[in-house]
Amino acid sequence: MKQRRHTLTAWLFLMPFLILFSTFTVFPIFYGFWISLHRWHVLDQTAPFVGLGNYGNVLQDDLFSIALARTALFVLLTVPLGNLVSLLMAVGLNQRYRGQAIYRVCFYLPVVTSVSVVAVLWRWLYSTEFGLLNLLLGVKFPWLSNPNWVMPSLAILSIWWGAGGNMLIYLAALRAVPKDTLEAAEIDGAVGLRRFLSITVPAIKPAIVFCFVMGIIASSQVFGQTYILTGGGPNY
Amino acid sequence: MRVTAIFACVCILIAGCQDRPGPSGTVEISFWNGFSGPDGATMEEIVKDFNRENPRIRVKMEIIPWATYYDKVTLGLAFGGAPDVFVLHANRVPEFASHGALARQDDLIRRSKIDEGDFVPQVWKAGLWDEGRYALPLDVHPLGLYYNVDLFRKAGITSPPRTLDEFIATARKPTRTDERGEKQWGFAFTWLHSNGLTFLNQFGSGLLTDDLKRSAMDTPETKQALNLMLRLIEVEKVCPRPEGSDAWLGFQTGRVAMAMEGIYMKSGLDNQKDLNYAAAPVPQFGPVKAVWAGSHCLAMPAKQDSKRRQAAWQFIRYLSDHSIKWAKGGQIPVRKSILASKEFKDMPIQREFAKQLDYVRYEPFSVRFNQISVFGDAAIEAVVNRVESASKALRTASRRINRVLDQP
Repeated sequence: MKQRRHTLTAWLFLMPFLILFSTFTVFPIFYGFWISLHRWHVLDQTAPFVGLGNYGNVLQDDLFSIALARTALFVLLTVPLGNLVSLLMAVGLNQRYRGQAIYRVCFYLPVVTSVSVVAVLWRWLYSTEFGLLNLLLGVKFPWLSNPNWVMPSLAILSIWWGAGGNMLIYLAALRAVPKDTLEAAEIDGAVGLRRFLSITVPAIKPAIVFCFVMGIIASSQVFGQTYILTGGGPNY
Repeated sequence: MRVTAIFACVCILIAGCQDRPGPSGTVEISFWNGFSGPDGATMEEIVKDFNRENPRIRVKMEIIPWATYYDKVTLGLAFGGAPDVFVLHANRVPEFASHGALARQDDLIRRSKIDEGDFVPQVWKAGLWDEGRYALPLDVHPLGLYYNVDLFRKAGITSPPRTLDEFIATARKPTRTDERGEKQWGFAFTWLHSNGLTFLNQFGSGLLTDDLKRSAMDTPETKQALNLMLRLIEVEKVCPRPEGSDAWLGFQTGRVAMAMEGIYMKSGLDNQKDLNYAAAPVPQFGPVKAVWAGSHCLAMPAKQDSKRRQAAWQFIRYLSDHSIKWAKGGQIPVRKSILASKEFKDMPIQREFAKQLDYVRYEPFSVRFNQISVFGDAAIEAVVNRVESASKALRTASRRINRVLDQP
């Protein structure tokens, strides 16, 4: 009896989440799949069933493979470098000095900024004629309109935007590295980079794996910054 | 108990949000558009005038920025909540009409004795689909040649160019590099979509063939047009490469002497206090007389009760009859009687743009225009920026356009 009461309480607590989750995530997934099996236009009264025809169309469309390749390139550019930046920031913040909290807030600030604000901000930085970046470098470099450079430009923005989030995870992991192991390594003569690579990195490996996996997922879904900054151009 | 109370509150709220009939049989109709710039203020004035002159109808205008406008209109038409009158660009009318979302206006036009003969013939085609009238063109906004009067005077230019040779000779004069290494240009491409299509149209080419069934991109005419654009950049050197240059800002700040933009840019230029500008028809670059143009058309939803339909039509008629007010805000009216009025002839910029009305060219009235347009733009952009060769870019664009057209 008591057991059942507990289960009921648990379900009641889960209910709000489950209702929202199934309404706004589970149902749309299945509904989206259902739509994908039809020739669907939102204004049409009827939607003929076409089976897997839409999927066949996508596979034949060379824009689909272009989009896949571009996304893969974006993931390659942002995830390893982005994690390196986050880790370096975390290592830096893990030292003891004054004003640590302020730095932490500053580095984390971009993460809480919405994509549209970030994109508009960087559009001004990247602007060829009037951009701050070109002013500082004294050049007229087409950051966003040169097809070869637009991807690195977007990657820089995305790394800046997201680095703070992973930094926090790395910082927590660094704090959890056992002090005695670090001391033991020091006594054995392992200092600096040696100690970092042999003791710290293996100790925070779970955090690294987590950040890479989440990073790959997030980067594969990139949309906002490219849409606002370049509208999908130049040259797709 | 409490749940019931909350439920009751929600019910009252929902009921309160629904529109109620106004005092003494007033019909309230909604009017949507995307005029989020200075044109919105002009339209607001006209709506206010209408409401004052027609006490039995109350128009409520809602401005939704163009970026999200069509999504909202589409959803409104599909799931209810569509406005009673809404603006569609001429190039989007066939798409909405083909899905049965728009009301036919032919009967209303016949009954209210709107005279087709009073409309500019080239513009009357906008809003037609499958031999039916689904939207009434309110205005027409062609490209025109804006030029900087001060730069012209300094370079000793007395009149705007009309032919290709005159254009190149004119553009050469103000083009120079100053002592600080800052470039000043005779001409610049602003929006490649409208500028590029004007070049294509003037060489007898375009996005689609006349029957709207195939791509017309991969043709010798398109190549000729694009080659001329490249020549202006690379051989004559009177125009910067479009890549990475904000040409319109350059014109506004007096670093570009000529640019081809729509009449709707006029009010923005008027706010630029130290800019002394004028306008002229777009020069003749190729063998065909043509200039890119669009129109704002007034449409009504297919599902609408007759009382609202009548009121909506009365409002549409009013807008058309009073489009001189709309013209003042930076538009070209499409009624010959208004174009001939002294009031319009006194608008120096609009008057120049209106000289092109006999040969304005709309984007193809294809049901799938919105899907194919991007492929044409990408090809033009890739060619003039030397990212791809013309033959490769045009072949790719044609293939993609035809693919979309071939879908059932």
